[in-house]
Amino acid sequence: MTIWKLRNNNPLRKSYVTNNIKLNEFNALIRITVEMSKYLYPYIREIMKSKENIEDNSVIWNDFNKRFIELIKERFNIDSIRVKKLLNQAENDEIIIKSLLTLSFCISNQGYQKLKNFLYDF
Amino acid sequence: MQNKLSFHQSSASLEIIGLPDYSNNENKDQISIISEWKLTIVDKPLIEGKIEHLGPIMDAFYIYSNLLIKNEIPIYESKLIDIKADNLHIHNIVLKSSKPNVKPLVLKIGNSLLSDTINCFDQLNESPKVRIKKTDISTNIPKKFKFGLNKKVKFLNFFIPPFFAICSLILFSSSFIYFYSPFENIEKKELTNPE
Repeated sequence: MTIWKLRNNNPLRKSYVTNNIKLNEFNALIRITVEMSKYLYPYIREIMKSKENIEDNSVIWNDFNKRFIELIKERFNIDSIRVKKLLNQAENDEIIIKSLLTLSFCISNQGYQKLKNFLYDF
Repeated sequence: MQNKLSFHQSSASLEIIGLPDYSNNENKDQISIISEWKLTIVDKPLIEGKIEHLGPIMDAFYIYSNLLIKNEIPIYESKLIDIKADNLHIHNIVLKSSKPNVKPLVLKIGNSLLSDTINCFDQLNESPKVRIKKTDISTNIPKKFKFGLNKKVKFLNFFIPPFFAICSLILFSSSFIYFYSPFENIEKKELTNPE
């Protein structure tokens, strides 16, 4: 329930609440993200691979992109310019690929520290 | 008898061959003196080299991957290895031989193989069985954050109060310009004392 509520700290969400996220909550979210990345690495890898050979194997990328856009429309504030950028298929490729790459680089035992450093430097 | 350790991640595997440092009373399965290493990427030529090449190649991959994520121009160039992005999905790696008259090895890898390779290097860095010079790139908190954010906050705290104080002084005092005119006073004095 707490984790579910923490998602509302994202200013891009429809249900955004201006709560200041605490440091331990921020760290917990990073830990969850890293553990999920470890678990989902084979899928993340296949999505990236599908985009590399888009002519041969576009199904996985297209499915992922379609679901990504569906979720954004459902849960994010689509009036926001940043969200509009995420929905624009001409522009969102770079954002998606960089996000997937960031997750795929953080699946080691020190992935938590790596992801934290990436986010601080963002 | 040399020890051999392998680190695998999907389509990439890194093999380290070497000996323990018996002078430090290390276990017989430890590797501290690396004699050979091989990086195998599926469908790509084998990459191998001396121990002095492993560190720079790992650093190159780590620096390049950091540049790639941080929206900076992803180009890494050195005497040993060049990595640059062909596009968002394909990366061009040029490995230059230290031997004369040997053509550089050119590889093109996608994001999936790049992340497999980085994960192999991570496994090596984290392995307690291999002692190599650890790279600081992935573990240090970036300088940008350390200095940028703190200094910005301190600078603003230091600068904003006096800035507002000076502005309000200027605005407040400028209103009095219209109430006092020294020239008018002098003229009035001259009128009252015509001598």
